[in-house]
Amino acid sequence: MKECKIVSRKFSIEGSHTLEVAKHHNAYRSLEKRGEFTPTQMIKIIKDANLRGKGGGGASAGEKWELMPQDGDKPSFLAVNCDESEPGTFKDRQIITYDPHLLIEGIILTCYAIKSKHAYIYIRGEYKEYQDILQNAIDEAYEDGLLESCDITIHRGAGAYICGEKSALLESMEGKRGHPRLKPKQKEPEWFFGNPTLVNNVETIATVPFIIQNGSDAYREYGTHCSPGTLLFGMSGHVNKPGVYESEFGVSMLEYIEHFGGGVKNGKKLKAVIPGGVSCGVLTARECKDLTLDYEAMRTAGSSLGTGGMIIMDEDTDMVAVLKNILEFYHEESCGQCTPCREGTGWSDKILQKIVNKRGTKKDLEKLFELADVMNGKTICVFAPSVSSVLISFITKFRDEFERAVS
Amino acid sequence: MSEICEVIVDGEIHEAKEGSLLIDLLIEEGVKIPYFCYHESLGADGNCRMCMVGIKGEKRPQIACDTLIKKDMEVFSNTDVIKKVRTDILELELLNHPVDCPICDQAGECSLQDFYMDYGLHESKVEIEDKVKNSKHVDLGSSVVLDQERCVLCARCTRFTTEITHTNELGIVGRGDSAKVTTMPGRELSNPYAMNVVDLCPVGALTSKDFRFSQRVWLLETHNSICHGCAKGCNIYIDHNKLKYKDDVIYRFRPRKNLEVNGHFICDEGRLSYKDVQENRQEFSTFNHIEVEQDIAISKFKNFLEQHHKNIHILIDANLYTEEIEAILEFAKSIKAEVFSPLEVYTDEGFADDMLKCSNRASNYKTIENLNISTENPNNSELIINFNHPQNFESLMQIDFCTHKSDTNSLVFAIAAFTENEGSLTNVDGITQQTQKAVKKNNPQPSIIEWLTRIDL
Repeated sequence: MKECKIVSRKFSIEGSHTLEVAKHHNAYRSLEKRGEFTPTQMIKIIKDANLRGKGGGGASAGEKWELMPQDGDKPSFLAVNCDESEPGTFKDRQIITYDPHLLIEGIILTCYAIKSKHAYIYIRGEYKEYQDILQNAIDEAYEDGLLESCDITIHRGAGAYICGEKSALLESMEGKRGHPRLKPKQKEPEWFFGNPTLVNNVETIATVPFIIQNGSDAYREYGTHCSPGTLLFGMSGHVNKPGVYESEFGVSMLEYIEHFGGGVKNGKKLKAVIPGGVSCGVLTARECKDLTLDYEAMRTAGSSLGTGGMIIMDEDTDMVAVLKNILEFYHEESCGQCTPCREGTGWSDKILQKIVNKRGTKKDLEKLFELADVMNGKTICVFAPSVSSVLISFITKFRDEFERAVS
Repeated sequence: MSEICEVIVDGEIHEAKEGSLLIDLLIEEGVKIPYFCYHESLGADGNCRMCMVGIKGEKRPQIACDTLIKKDMEVFSNTDVIKKVRTDILELELLNHPVDCPICDQAGECSLQDFYMDYGLHESKVEIEDKVKNSKHVDLGSSVVLDQERCVLCARCTRFTTEITHTNELGIVGRGDSAKVTTMPGRELSNPYAMNVVDLCPVGALTSKDFRFSQRVWLLETHNSICHGCAKGCNIYIDHNKLKYKDDVIYRFRPRKNLEVNGHFICDEGRLSYKDVQENRQEFSTFNHIEVEQDIAISKFKNFLEQHHKNIHILIDANLYTEEIEAILEFAKSIKAEVFSPLEVYTDEGFADDMLKCSNRASNYKTIENLNISTENPNNSELIINFNHPQNFESLMQIDFCTHKSDTNSLVFAIAAFTENEGSLTNVDGITQQTQKAVKKNNPQPSIIEWLTRIDL
């Protein structure tokens, strides 16, 4: 398997979170390129590299950057999304723990490209210790005069999953409840207190320095045509070496699990994989067989790549219990704004509790399908549709287990 | 953007402004559309997801409250798919609802009930013990009581305090199905327009302490009227009912939409002013506080007029209907009396705000000005005939026409209050509006015009 370290280059270096060590290993070198490119040229490089948002959506980062006005009369902002709350995902905190200066370097470049003078890092409330590391790094950067062109402020969330949704994140940053906003009618940037704002994931921003320094072609050498570059894929669950390992897109999923994760724990057989955080539909071992880790292949397989945080389950896993566990999470985290999601997640959770308690009936399974249908495509954000796809994928793919549970 | 274009709704062609909200068109054209969170004054929030319609070219049903009208748009509101979507979402709205309609004040004017009749009619699939339990009685302050179990979280009330009054007392706390409306700890709902949240609430979650448990709404009779609390002339509904063997009683005033005058709201003081109209009423003619027959009162009136023909001064309340004021002027001419309507007594700077409340508390003062009636105080009066003006001035003799009990030692004629009579008023902005006769008392008092006809000089 091809060695690729674009974002994780300095992860194994001791003390890499300090400015001194980071600089020794060529941190902030890409900033020199600011003299070579205009902001618009820089956006073009990112677009040519086809850098895709690494927070789960996989949308083109360059296209999003292009939406930011280059000569507007309002100030522009950058909001870095570090609300990493998707169960199974823990990649952003690796960046912050081992290479916070890479993120800061990326922020400085991005701010240059979108002509922003102020960047916010929205970090989830539970990440206090990582926030401290990050704040130290920011302080070091200020002392070193690196942050003359833009300011960086950390904004700490209060622990709501939905604040990872970009518009909810901005609502939260504005001091309101983290509720997703109605989608605009045309393509436009996000708005922070009425000012154009770019929201990108930590890893997306941390990839920018490599692309700017080495050019878009260097980035495209990795990955596939449609999903170029790399991602900090991660593994958790029944695997020998859980963790975060950077890899290019398009590699075989099973090979990745074998190569980096050392295979399924205790020599057991693989039963299923949730490919990119629990919001992605579950895949059976058979479906994983020839599957590659890229956006297109995942979509074809009926799931999505999400954040790349894979949850590996061995042959003894009780899928009913897994689904119940996931629904409990959704029940807790639905923001409660739209009716289908607010009531649908709670009801599904209660029905699953009934099934787990061996009081379920076949009708309950039907009701879960009905609820999945009501929750799909009828809400402001994609929270409920994700719940819907999770419910459908689990129950249809492991139908016999669910039927046994209700008989 | 604001060009008029054609839109097809369920096969019928309608005209609408391009770029305006689809839901406004549907409501205006009477197309059946269920919704909780949308309100004309608050705009779209898109949280209830009930107003789903099909739109040609769109894969999925869309919410009408967040859909802008485009040229040649084709909308479907009653296809089987749409009906099913509405039924499904309504089932979720009702999932944790306590269905306590028999003891709920909103019953009869509840959107949940109405939509259930249109789209629901299903049996509940959840067991009662599985429903989310919440507080049934939260006293929010300002006479508003919250039942968190009945709430559908449409956020109209919270948006009202954020966007309309800018007082921000109400908010939603908690996530998912444990989300609920509440105030911040230690804070109360307290602003002069607070009770409008009761009207805004589409269900029985917010009820008025003043009205709750007093009447079933389907027993109430409703008439259009104008609030007499100040010169703004806010449009109201008078909800009243005459119970068997009892008198016709007003139970509440509610705001009536008029975008030119009061929008959708009224102030709490105006809303509760129905009590003042009914309390402490003058119910018969009196002389020196002793009840007198109508004929005797009229002959006394005539006697006084004969005794004092110099310096007869007439006082007019600036809350009377224009028709009444004109009749009084006519009468004044016939007896050669001077007419006054001192306006200073109506001024209340502390009452005014920048929303609806005016510092001038007389609902028809504009007519007094328009008819060039003197607003000075009368002096050297020999005889004063006071048509309900709140102030008294020195005179040898006084005759009163009163809606409410008066403590003057004089001849008093009881007259109908504005709710028992009809007429027109001109508000502070010069807009003339009509009221309807609402209340029909068992012992109705004549209006001023009726008295003047009966006196017939």
